[in-house]
Amino acid sequence: MRLTLGIWMTAVVVLAILLPMVPQPQHWYEFPVVGGLGEKARIIFFHVPTAWLSFLAFVASMVYGIKYLRKRNPDDDLKSSTAAGLGFLFCFLATVTGSIWAKFSWGSFWNWDPRETSIFVLLLIYGAYFALRSAVEVEEKRASLSAVYSIIAAVTMPFFMFVMPRVLASLHPDPIINTQGKVYMNATMLVVFLSSLAGFTGLYYWIFTIQVRIRRMESLSIHHEGELKRA
Amino acid sequence: MPARDATSIAWFRSVGAIFMKDWRSELRTRYAISALLMFVVTTISIILFSLGSESARPEVLCGMLWVVIFFSAMSGLSRTFVMEEERGTSMTLQLTARGSAVYVGKLLFNTVLVTGLDVLTVALYALLINGFVIKTFSIFLVIVLLGGLGFAAAATIIAAIIARASTKGTLYPVLSFPILLPLVLTVINGTRLASDGAFFEEAYGEFQILISYIVVVIAVSVLVFDYVWKD
Amino acid sequence: MLDFLGQQPLYVVLLVVLIIWLGLYFYLFRLDSRVKKLEGRKP
Repeated sequence: MRLTLGIWMTAVVVLAILLPMVPQPQHWYEFPVVGGLGEKARIIFFHVPTAWLSFLAFVASMVYGIKYLRKRNPDDDLKSSTAAGLGFLFCFLATVTGSIWAKFSWGSFWNWDPRETSIFVLLLIYGAYFALRSAVEVEEKRASLSAVYSIIAAVTMPFFMFVMPRVLASLHPDPIINTQGKVYMNATMLVVFLSSLAGFTGLYYWIFTIQVRIRRMESLSIHHEGELKRA
Repeated sequence: MPARDATSIAWFRSVGAIFMKDWRSELRTRYAISALLMFVVTTISIILFSLGSESARPEVLCGMLWVVIFFSAMSGLSRTFVMEEERGTSMTLQLTARGSAVYVGKLLFNTVLVTGLDVLTVALYALLINGFVIKTFSIFLVIVLLGGLGFAAAATIIAAIIARASTKGTLYPVLSFPILLPLVLTVINGTRLASDGAFFEEAYGEFQILISYIVVVIAVSVLVFDYVWKD
Repeated sequence: MLDFLGQQPLYVVLLVVLIIWLGLYFYLFRLDSRVKKLEGRKP
């Protein structure tokens, strides 16, 4: 499994960077040139999966949270906070790489367009989630409150999809609207992109399982210490 | 207070009783009211002072109005559930009323508080800040009323969450901001429309967003409230 | 070789990304193996 992931992602990286970019793709292995971006468009293969994964991670965290609320199994809370922690990292990376991309494509590091704003709000939500966790000492309470908060946050996030277009429409129309490559991805690009997405998801899942296993052992050893002390 | 039972009349009586309890205690101690008042007066004074004799663009003023309201609400509503913990009445409340009744009762009370806050802030703003003009009053009225209910809905459930945390005061705005952000953006937008003199119909989008936000937040809050409130 | 790389920025990018990725990959691989070993050791 891990071997497959290693080979897969290496191939994705090589292809994503090396496949030639020509204005009129003739062969199956060529990318079309995207107007205004040129070679920099290759960022799409790495930046977008990171961003998508940070959203998925949040949903995963919420799902584990809901499981906790139903069964009160501390392992579910462990998974919920681990998923969120990793999601936070991915979100931070996505925001930073997005900002760099924006700088090179449109001139400024931050534009407050819908995508940038939503990834930023996700960052805030992750931050709030961990602020909440660190403020509650009782384990069961911490678990239920984080689960509830992630539910509320997940429920209000979709509203952004509806709010942002109206906000933009009423502002002086911003010419620097972020049009990501969704519209014009040709078949080759799409294949490489989806493979990258799959690879990143595998990577996320792998890191997630390692972290969960480590934290399980940590909590076991804490409990063992407690029992030894009492014995 | 009547013992817990399943009939809806008892539920309404619980809601009413909780509302009256908070209302009477607030009139006696005036904790929240003074916090709100002080905050609004201080913030508007600072704004006036920094503006001097100049006036800012109407768009900026619309945004600032809701900044003032947001932070005032944060300072005034944070103690909604904390007061129960501090007075030791939280156990009694859990025994004698259903979770949903407690939430709705407090929600109603907070709505009254927020609406009062809104009216006061808008009045002061209109009187003291030059450049703030509302051309379509009907839009503005609906925005303020719906926005107030939305604020109260989100603020109440977050207040319930932080009641068990340790760093309550600072945690409250941190948790509330991402949740309230879609609401804040929408009301600012709506205020801008009203300020520009748009037709009532043009704000339908905003009204729809506000109404759905309110419905969703209240529905989810009622569902999760017991997990937050009960030990 | 440095000359060649100087002319082809794309290969520089590839090199950098590959180094980062392979480094990360082997780090995680090692971590995974160590955790497996620890799990095998029951207290």
